Amino acid sequence: MGDEGIFEQLKQSIVDQDEDAVLEAVNKALADGVDPKTIIDKGLLPGLNVIGEQFENEDIFLPELMQAAKAFQAAMAILEPKIKEAGGDGQKKGIIVLGTVKGDLHSIGKNILKLLFETSGFEVHDLGIDVDLFKFIDKAGEVNADIIAISALLTTTLIGQRDVIDALKDQGTREKYKVIVGGGATTEEWADTIGADGWAGTAYEAVNLANRLVS
Amino acid sequence: MIDLVEVFERAETGPLTSETDYYMKRYVPKLAELITRHKIKWDNETIINADDDLTDRVFQAAVDLLAEAGAYCPETNRVMEFTREEILLACSQAPKGATFGERRERKTMYGRRPDTTDDRPWVHVGGGIYTTDEQIFVDTVEKMASFNIVDSVSVPSILHLRGKDARVRSPQEILSACKTVRLAREGIRRSGRAGMPIINGISAASQPASMFAATYPEFGLRPSDGFLIDFLSEMVVGYEALQKVAFYNSISANIGSTSTPLFGGYAGGAEGVAVTATCYMIMGNLIMRGSYHYNAPLHSKLHLSSTKPLIWAIAMSNAAIGRNMGYPMVNLPYLGGGSGTKQYHYEMACYMLAVVTSGGNVFSGHPAMAVQSDSLVPDDHKFHAEIGLAAAKLTRAQAEPLAQKLFPLFGDKLKDPDKGFTFQEVYDMKTKRIVNKDYQRAMDEVRDELAGMGLEVPVS
Repeated sequence: MGDEGIFEQLKQSIVDQDEDAVLEAVNKALADGVDPKTIIDKGLLPGLNVIGEQFENEDIFLPELMQAAKAFQAAMAILEPKIKEAGGDGQKKGIIVLGTVKGDLHSIGKNILKLLFETSGFEVHDLGIDVDLFKFIDKAGEVNADIIAISALLTTTLIGQRDVIDALKDQGTREKYKVIVGGGATTEEWADTIGADGWAGTAYEAVNLANRLVS
Repeated sequence: MIDLVEVFERAETGPLTSETDYYMKRYVPKLAELITRHKIKWDNETIINADDDLTDRVFQAAVDLLAEAGAYCPETNRVMEFTREEILLACSQAPKGATFGERRERKTMYGRRPDTTDDRPWVHVGGGIYTTDEQIFVDTVEKMASFNIVDSVSVPSILHLRGKDARVRSPQEILSACKTVRLAREGIRRSGRAGMPIINGISAASQPASMFAATYPEFGLRPSDGFLIDFLSEMVVGYEALQKVAFYNSISANIGSTSTPLFGGYAGGAEGVAVTATCYMIMGNLIMRGSYHYNAPLHSKLHLSSTKPLIWAIAMSNAAIGRNMGYPMVNLPYLGGGSGTKQYHYEMACYMLAVVTSGGNVFSGHPAMAVQSDSLVPDDHKFHAEIGLAAAKLTRAQAEPLAQKLFPLFGDKLKDPDKGFTFQEVYDMKTKRIVNKDYQRAMDEVRDELAGMGLEVPVS
């Protein structure tokens, strides 16, 4: 099998959400001497693009997205050390700290976003739900984040998004990070009001927004 | 039925597992397996299913889902497990009616079977997530309660205190919740129907402390109102919900078990939402001891419930419970179009035709962007209740062609819906009469169009 054949096998195994097949293809490609970065760029990412389109078109849903992401992460666990050994930078587009604001216990939308960020090539630090505002800030500092992404579903928890931005201003670190907001109760107008760097109505839009902000 | 303390014990004694493992090793694969096992398939076209064998298979899958996947308690990291026998016994002992209100307004909401055309369903109007300015809050509630066809109301939320936002879990939230119910009861009193029930207790309360505080009788709520307790995430039964279950059972109040399975989330597509929504109603009875169910499936990206597969799934869950359990249900529609738009009315008509013929009671809906302040326009809700009562005279088979005619009138607009009106734009603020001619014209035209399709909607 030539390189094109192995790339197609990598792509298809991601599209099939078949972790065993992904790992088999990755190991075969490495044994054939294919560069790990090329395995990602020409095999895994094209598969993830198909998965993303299928998710956007409602051909697949969250469970399938999670399976594909799990297969991708398993492949990256093999490939990343090899890239670093070779002196590479690990291929991350940017670093994102993600969570749902204090007082808000909703997780599904945030979990979808996490998967789409990860499968789009971002390093994601998911703080979960009901997140204290200073945890966002501390984590962003700790991992040298590019973006802080804050979700809020309830009207009564929206204020938590503003609090993070206000606290960043108070600490003099607002300009270090791009802050993006989203979630059921948010609007673009709200994002503008609190001085966020961007708002997204869907997880897919949030990925596009993050891509623009780090480019 | 197993007793309530035993239900709580299941959250302390079930198998330990992480939330991710619960979803990826139990709920998600089991749901997929059950959809295959019971041959549940949406045909990508039907809006209102009339195949009773398929309906009953959805119910069986829902029973199996709870029996084989269990529910998840995040505080204890344990799976709450129930045997099939326990589940079926609870289904057989589920309430068939829930009695609300006081004195002349004391009435019973019944569980309905699909294709019942000779009853008068319960009529509920309003919405709890509208954030209404307190200056017009009382007027809004008074107007909704004054419609003679209405049996109960959901009241909007007042989330401001002295001009500031009431933050979740703050002491201000407790005061907002108390103020909301006090003013809501006042609005109902002004309508001349003081005994009318509020069945979305308590709209401005997100935490048990706020709900319990606002339940204090001095503020005007009674056990004969309805108190909503929700499942937070798919199949999750958290301590906050169980605390509310413990309290409202202890005062023998009406409990509205509430669920919002997400289309596109862990439940997947139409089939998964139909099974999960049905399962929630079973859980609402068994775990929460609900008197009625608030069924509110939602699209995870569009934040509305009027896509074709979702309406199919919602109607299916009504029919599954209506045929096999008889638990009283209302369905909370989230619609794309803004208040008063023709899109909004078309969506509501399609949704109402589906759920009322399938066994649901009548419940008017929210605009999807209901967080827009003052977007609760009471005359929308009256019109939609009238549509619901008209739909109740039809069978599912009679309603399906009407729903198919309606869907193309709004389906393409769901991603970019028409903007709507606010209370202040529609009414004269002194007389509370409709003065906006565009608003009235849209409603009149839709009423005529529905009549042209064969659905006469008399003005009540």
